[in-house]
Amino acid sequence: MIRYLAVRIGWSLFTIWAVVTATFLIYNVLPEDPARVIAGPQARPADVARIRTQLGLDRPVHVRYWRYLSGLVKLGKAPEGEDTTLVVGPLRVDLGVSYLKRKPVVALLGKALPPTLLLGVLAIAVQVAVGAAGGMIAAMRRHSVFDWGTVALTLIGISAPTFLTGLLLQHFMARELNLFPLDGYGATSTKQLHSAVLPAITLGLFGAAYYTRLVRDEMIVLLKQDYIRTARAKGQNETLVVLRHALRNALMPLVTVIGLSMGTLVGGAIVTEKIFRWPGIGSLSVDAIVERDGPVIMGVVILFSTVVVFANLLVDLSYAVLDPRVRKR
Amino acid sequence: MRSIRTRIEPLLGAVLAGAVALGCTTKVAPPIGERRELPPQRGGTLRTAFFVDVRTLDAAVAFDTASAAIEQLMYDRLVYYDDLGKIAPQLAESWDVSPDGKRYTFQLRRGVLFHDGSELTARDVKRSIERALHVKTPCPVPSYYENLRGYAAYHDGKADELAGVVVEGDYVVSFELTASDATFLHLMALPIVAPVCPSAGSTWSREWSSKACGTGPFSLVRFENGNVIELVRHDGYWDKGKPYLDKIEWSLNVQSFTQRFKFERGDLDYMREFSEADSQVMRGSPHWKGLGEWEVSLTTGGSFMNTELAPFDNRHFRRAVAFAANRPEIAAARPGHVVPQGKMVPQAIIPRTPDYPWQKHDYARALEEMRLAGYPYDPKTGEGGYPKEIPYLSIIDSYSQQAAEILQQQLARIGVRIRLQVMGFPTFLAKVSRRKTAPMGFAGWHADFPDPSTFFEPILTTKSIQEEESQNNAFFSNAAFDRVVDEARRTTDERRRLELYRQAEAILVEEAPWVLGYAYRYFELWHPYVHGYRPHPALSQNVRGMWLDQAQMKKTARARRARTTLALALPGVWR
Repeated sequence: MIRYLAVRIGWSLFTIWAVVTATFLIYNVLPEDPARVIAGPQARPADVARIRTQLGLDRPVHVRYWRYLSGLVKLGKAPEGEDTTLVVGPLRVDLGVSYLKRKPVVALLGKALPPTLLLGVLAIAVQVAVGAAGGMIAAMRRHSVFDWGTVALTLIGISAPTFLTGLLLQHFMARELNLFPLDGYGATSTKQLHSAVLPAITLGLFGAAYYTRLVRDEMIVLLKQDYIRTARAKGQNETLVVLRHALRNALMPLVTVIGLSMGTLVGGAIVTEKIFRWPGIGSLSVDAIVERDGPVIMGVVILFSTVVVFANLLVDLSYAVLDPRVRKR
Repeated sequence: MRSIRTRIEPLLGAVLAGAVALGCTTKVAPPIGERRELPPQRGGTLRTAFFVDVRTLDAAVAFDTASAAIEQLMYDRLVYYDDLGKIAPQLAESWDVSPDGKRYTFQLRRGVLFHDGSELTARDVKRSIERALHVKTPCPVPSYYENLRGYAAYHDGKADELAGVVVEGDYVVSFELTASDATFLHLMALPIVAPVCPSAGSTWSREWSSKACGTGPFSLVRFENGNVIELVRHDGYWDKGKPYLDKIEWSLNVQSFTQRFKFERGDLDYMREFSEADSQVMRGSPHWKGLGEWEVSLTTGGSFMNTELAPFDNRHFRRAVAFAANRPEIAAARPGHVVPQGKMVPQAIIPRTPDYPWQKHDYARALEEMRLAGYPYDPKTGEGGYPKEIPYLSIIDSYSQQAAEILQQQLARIGVRIRLQVMGFPTFLAKVSRRKTAPMGFAGWHADFPDPSTFFEPILTTKSIQEEESQNNAFFSNAAFDRVVDEARRTTDERRRLELYRQAEAILVEEAPWVLGYAYRYFELWHPYVHGYRPHPALSQNVRGMWLDQAQMKKTARARRARTTLALALPGVWR
């Protein structure tokens, strides 16, 4: 088990390095000049050249890559006045300073992460709650109007792009009915939760629809299994049969898909956050990409790749908790 | 499974059609409150929004349209623009210019207080300029001030002070130039050199942006990137009784459709960043008649033709393209927002007179110029013309893309085929500014300050040609043009300057390095309770004189509550 864990962590670190390297190279070989974007389209060449020198962009790509990578993780205590690093135990992670906002990237990510986590957790809650409940009931009432309606709604949920869902929710729920804020992130916890409802539904809708179908199909198969029939024959309450014996097993593939869908969730968050002006990582990364803010782009990629890679690692490990057969292996 | 899909597909179609129909039938909410003729009132909070984020509010660093609107509220300058768009005193009571035009001496207004309560002196003026032009300050445009004596030594870190800025007393400061410059006062009106509080120190630090302060009518109380900027009235402001507003809230990064929703709901008092569709709907609504105005445009748009690359190294070919372009047709793609403009300098800076040079559409002459260029084209048979496709670089999701598509059709009528290459803005900038790379593409320019010089020197003179990062995308080099523009820069006689710029325009019409095409402008709208605002002839979103009819604003809140209640009872019919 320890060897398995070590190998998995090793591959996870390698994956993160590969993603970081690929992003760095793509960003640096594009025929674009961040110094020009910073200076503005009308800046004079001398001013653009000075900015390029200030940021070290006049050096060869391999020099910049080495400087970035070697400065990424440092050991030991932070010197006085250093505000660009994130301290993780004995390590200091230095993601540099944003070209445009001129703030440390770790500070920008630190500020944007809580709103994104709140949105992500709420979206997953929407996905799992709707997916498990909708799929379970549809499977129990197969070929009923409820089942057909559920399948129809899931098709809409899977087909509708996030930007359309977001705009429709914003239009009807916020503009017409004034039930929720149009956009923004409240100043208090209550207001933040209130503001998070529409973006969480927008972000969670695709997953909710997908999970509903997944659970429904899984449940239909499971409800025909011998052990379910045995449980029923023993006179166990139908609700208990479904919840304890069928649903628990039907959730196994759901856990796998949640891990794999972290990337999709992140992608959806980028659009959702932009529509609802949610000050999370999605908004930060869109602005950074549009403005070619290299350090922020790299910081977001490192953060997201770390989250996705380790989320999948956790999912693999959670099999052992959920399924005794895996534990025995 | 198949049967279910068969049943739900029509249902899905109906749902989507319903959603689209609901969206299409959305009406415009009427304005909130009534317009009353009253004397200006103090108090209230103005709420407005930007589509973009504001990166920084440090005067030495921020230099974009969005931050400029905030900076004109936070930072007063030695001179600024009056209601007619002319240079006028602001922190300087008066100024003298030496006979050779190389020395400007400013008498400062006494009793001007910074937001932190300290008094402005000539030393603060010098410190602020030195801070902005310091080698370590990431100022995007320090070279604008290269004409100041001692600039190079100071900006390169070889001198401790900027020799050309001389403190001559507590309230007197002089600027010494290496050559006379008719645009110097405009440069002093830019935020880059605005006096900043002593807390800013003499060198730039990145922390200061969040507590930026100056001498303007409003001081900063909250600045959250991507979220909001809040300004409050500076009670120690030198112009007693002003400003009228207690507070201004500027939301950042707000999508244009969300801005419209908020504006209709009364969450925004003033807005300008309408989508094209929303702009047409609001402008066409009888409810809003008389409440909005067009902002004055200080832009010029069109297409550059790279004079170093074939076929645009042939003057007749360039002239053929310029004659073939039908500007009203191009502008019609965004009626109102885009206006045809066949000259380089915007109307607001030099209004067009009947004898003013103007690139115009003339199909017969376009065909004749094609013949002279050696590529005769017969429109009846479609034979002849330029044999190769010409790449045209354009920016994705921008008006430049639409304009290029229309120009493509117009040029086909003279036998010129262009192939559009659409790309992101940074890639576009990199490609068009590299020598011998892009034969043709979108060209646009915005006035750095309201003076004709900014439309000629940085983008069309020989000295603006570079191997990389060339702002002269047409790589146009013309000795007569250079001479005229240079003389105009140095002369202080306004009549003579105008005549010289007229000559420069005539050369551009004759030589056609650009297809001069259009000007882009914004439509601004405000609720009836907002007073004291008119689009300024030289400044964008200059809201410093705004005031609010607060009784009508309270009515707004009541009306909004009533509408919400009704909306919950009868969704969709409350308007």
